[in-house]
Amino acid sequence: MPEISRRDFLKLASQGFIALSGLFGLGMLLRFLGYQTEPPPPTDFDLGPASNYASGSRTLRPEIPAVVIRTSNEFTALSLVCTHLGCTVESKPEGFACPCHGSRFDLQGKVVRGPAVKPLNSLRTGITSDGILHVYTN
Amino acid sequence: MRRYLLLAASIFLLLGLLIAAWQENRHPKPIALTPTLTGQVEYCLTCHSDLAQISNSHPVNTFGCVICHGGEPLALDANLAHSTLRGGKNPSDFSVVQASCGGSNCHSGTVESYNNHIQRATTSIQATYAGAIAIMRYTYGAQSSLAALFGVNAVQDIQSTSGITSLQAFDPAAETNPQLQLFGQNCLTCHLSAQPIQTGGRYDHFTGCAACHTPTQSADLVSVDTTTATQVHKLTTAISYTQCDTCHNRGNYDLRTMTFQPRTDLVANRLQDYYQPIAQFTQCEYTLDCIDCHTRTEAMGDGSLYGSKLDIQYIQCTTCHGTLTELPQTRALTDPNDLAFRLALLNPVVDLKLGDTILVTGKGEPLWNTRVLPDGTYQLVGKATGQVFSFNPVMGSACTQNGVDQSSDYCHTCHSVQR
Repeated sequence: MPEISRRDFLKLASQGFIALSGLFGLGMLLRFLGYQTEPPPPTDFDLGPASNYASGSRTLRPEIPAVVIRTSNEFTALSLVCTHLGCTVESKPEGFACPCHGSRFDLQGKVVRGPAVKPLNSLRTGITSDGILHVYTN
Repeated sequence: MRRYLLLAASIFLLLGLLIAAWQENRHPKPIALTPTLTGQVEYCLTCHSDLAQISNSHPVNTFGCVICHGGEPLALDANLAHSTLRGGKNPSDFSVVQASCGGSNCHSGTVESYNNHIQRATTSIQATYAGAIAIMRYTYGAQSSLAALFGVNAVQDIQSTSGITSLQAFDPAAETNPQLQLFGQNCLTCHLSAQPIQTGGRYDHFTGCAACHTPTQSADLVSVDTTTATQVHKLTTAISYTQCDTCHNRGNYDLRTMTFQPRTDLVANRLQDYYQPIAQFTQCEYTLDCIDCHTRTEAMGDGSLYGSKLDIQYIQCTTCHGTLTELPQTRALTDPNDLAFRLALLNPVVDLKLGDTILVTGKGEPLWNTRVLPDGTYQLVGKATGQVFSFNPVMGSACTQNGVDQSSDYCHTCHSVQR
């Protein structure tokens, strides 16, 4: 086994440490550059086959949150986000009630009692060519 | 020599990088929250996920933390995250309340005047102490009348309905009478901006809105936990008398020495705790909580400046009991927007319905926790206890009090409790 001189050992060690530092620093830089902020909330919700929703049905979808309403020939969706300050309203037999500040909405989302002054937002719906119902919040 | 230096430098470089990476990885994995109201990510729950939701009206998923508390939303280092908190752990302190709780969708400048709490609270007699200051200055000859000229802080009410449009800031150092200087130093310890008392005792409280709405005290006198009393994260309108006691019954002022003498008796009895010796009171006055009778306007003001507690506090026994010749005032709830419904929503001890008839004060304030029963008697539900009480009007009773003298002092003459 060839002997290594002190000079070469020092040189090799220094280069090794510098190379390790470079690799380590590069890794940290890549991690920094690749940092993912929180993903934006989804705006397109796949609600499964439209045929699952009976005519005349009102289906709560808390993940949106919205109520999906099927009339005889169309789908509509009503956002359950209160137009006052953004709390999620609760479904009641006579409409919707905000548990935070007491706003009341009728079954069509119109304001019955404040402090909200705007009706619940209607959400865009769509059915794909293979019959899947989508609700869009944007 | 140069090679040794190079080796040492390369070792230090690697060590430095390793320490930086270690520091970076010491932070916990962030728990992100994107409140619907702001749409901005905040990481506060990384450390504070164990905190109870502060109230049903302020759900964390809607409000988040930063909109009220301030702070650095993306910081994972506690010192950095808390470096820009508003009001420390109390964002409702009056020095920061406008930034924390104000805004036209919240508690100032709202369309619904009943919700302008900041204007009401900061001009209230509990915040200004105007009456006490005026009495003391008048007593010691610093002013020639009892007119309210000074408050704890300078405050204006440009739309005054009380005739007082502004108060100057009271400065004890500017007073020439030493008693007034002592009064300023020792006796202005109860107003809503006073330095909070937080010694882990029964009379601890915060400042600002939290002085009343963040209960540091348990109504359960026996098990009051003084070790965590100032750690609560709660806003409520179900305020026990024990919270009122943190200012209103925590001791007495000695006017000879102009000092405050803290209450030292520790009683586990509601009657003894509620009233100190020499006070006159009836059974309902210590059985109920203060807020069961006294209204939001009496406690928080009506937005105008007043010169005395007597100018804003107006509830008397007759408010609920009427007189020999008049029944108490009532109102049938026919408007779904009646304030009574909103107040009942915030503290749902009663299930008010359209068509119910409740008692109202002489100013029309709803006593929303009362109800007129079909048999003509009345029911009251304790706002803090949920206890149900039945009571009768004076009319038709054996009371012989004349119709002119109807203030509560006269009722106490016959009905006060003896200890």
